[in-house]
Amino acid sequence: MADVLAIKQAVGDLDEGSVTEKLNAFIASGPGEDEVQAVVAACQQGMEIVGEKFGEGEYFVGDLIFAGELLTDCIDMLKPLLGGEVGGSRGTIVLGTVEGDIHDIGKNIFRSMSEAAGFHVVDLGIDQPPSAFVAAVEEHKPQIVGMSGVLTLSIDSMKRTVEALQEKGLRGGVKVAIGGNAVSQESCQYIGADAWSKNAAESVKTCGGWV
Amino acid sequence: MIIIGEKINGAIPKTAEAILNKDEGYIRELALKQAEFGANYIDVCAGTDPSIEVETLKWLIDIVQDSVETPICIDSSDVDIILELLPYVKKPGMINSVSEEYGKCDRLMPKAADTPWKIIALTCDNNGISLDSQVKVKIGEVIMEKAKKYGIDEDRIYIDPLVTTLSTTENAIASFVETMAGIREKYPRVHFTSGLSNISFGMPFRSAVNRSFLTLAMNAGMDSAIMDPLSPDMRATLYATEALLGQDRHCRRFLNAFRKGVIGPKK
Repeated sequence: MADVLAIKQAVGDLDEGSVTEKLNAFIASGPGEDEVQAVVAACQQGMEIVGEKFGEGEYFVGDLIFAGELLTDCIDMLKPLLGGEVGGSRGTIVLGTVEGDIHDIGKNIFRSMSEAAGFHVVDLGIDQPPSAFVAAVEEHKPQIVGMSGVLTLSIDSMKRTVEALQEKGLRGGVKVAIGGNAVSQESCQYIGADAWSKNAAESVKTCGGWV
Repeated sequence: MIIIGEKINGAIPKTAEAILNKDEGYIRELALKQAEFGANYIDVCAGTDPSIEVETLKWLIDIVQDSVETPICIDSSDVDIILELLPYVKKPGMINSVSEEYGKCDRLMPKAADTPWKIIALTCDNNGISLDSQVKVKIGEVIMEKAKKYGIDEDRIYIDPLVTTLSTTENAIASFVETMAGIREKYPRVHFTSGLSNISFGMPFRSAVNRSFLTLAMNAGMDSAIMDPLSPDMRATLYATEALLGQDRHCRRFLNAFRKGVIGPKK
């Protein structure tokens, strides 16, 4: 049986050498499907440690980007043992940087982490008006809508986006998560979102709890 | 960047004192600290009277080998002494240095050819150190052709273009850069190193000049340096420059060095 705690910790420590070594040893042991799923989950939980360390100021943006890559690599190593599928999709997220804002670093980190965590992500890109979110929700029927913004003005864009979803009767069918430097507890209430974070890894954890 | 830690050198007064007093603890500490702070090789230079150079080097080598796994860079102007000591060193490292002076290349290269030792080669000859980069490039080419003749791969040679002092030669770095470019044109896999603190000789606030030189020289393709890894400013410049030059994916080495306290404010 794999030491899932050690794997989770190694992922959290972003210790690439140790992660690769542990996963190779695990794969060589010829594990059953349940065990593989447990290790996939351990890798994904390692991102929680990453999120904590980022929140504490120990990790920086480069570490988050690397964390996303590391998690993707882990999943790629484990996929063949599961016939190419990792527990199926955990759900769909429609994601974008809202109208008037063109910052995408945080959005992209969130995307790579949530994809590695098993979500199907529809990334609309930057500077996306409410109508684009509405159209994507109608088309892709996601469980979650993720909105990102760094500029203060993005708060009002997020609010308009939530209102547009409400008008179309789509708001009740989705959870709304907002992220980026602009968001706070107050703005989350003002916007009418379900969760907020400045920390991509934390947002991924929140999304995981919703599906 | 390949860092050659310069601290164990009898030309440095404190190290000379430790050598004189056989202060093993001091030398050991220098070896440990330099290894801890990222030295890829540890330079060992006696700086004593030639009559006791071999025994002094052996003493220094013993201490370094006993303290750290980091390979040694044997530093002597006497190639016979270097050759005598090669078998004495457990882990092959670097030879510092040969040049076109006194037939040093022809004396050392044939004997070092079949070993894994890397070789630092200075671009000077019996006429001394030229201020003309074209002359240095020619000397570099002669050295590289000799290496080839003796079967030493390009990749094992570290050319030191012998940067001149800025206080006496204001185009010192231009000449340094031209020398590297001229040699690299023909020998793309050769390495370049520098005892870079020479640049600031005779100036105040030398660390500022050394750091800026490091950045400019790395930008021009210098991929090794003989330097003091114990200087926090030099380390910071080194890591930042590597990241700026795109040699550090996602700035991870910079970030890890910061977390470990290798660079940045004291924690």
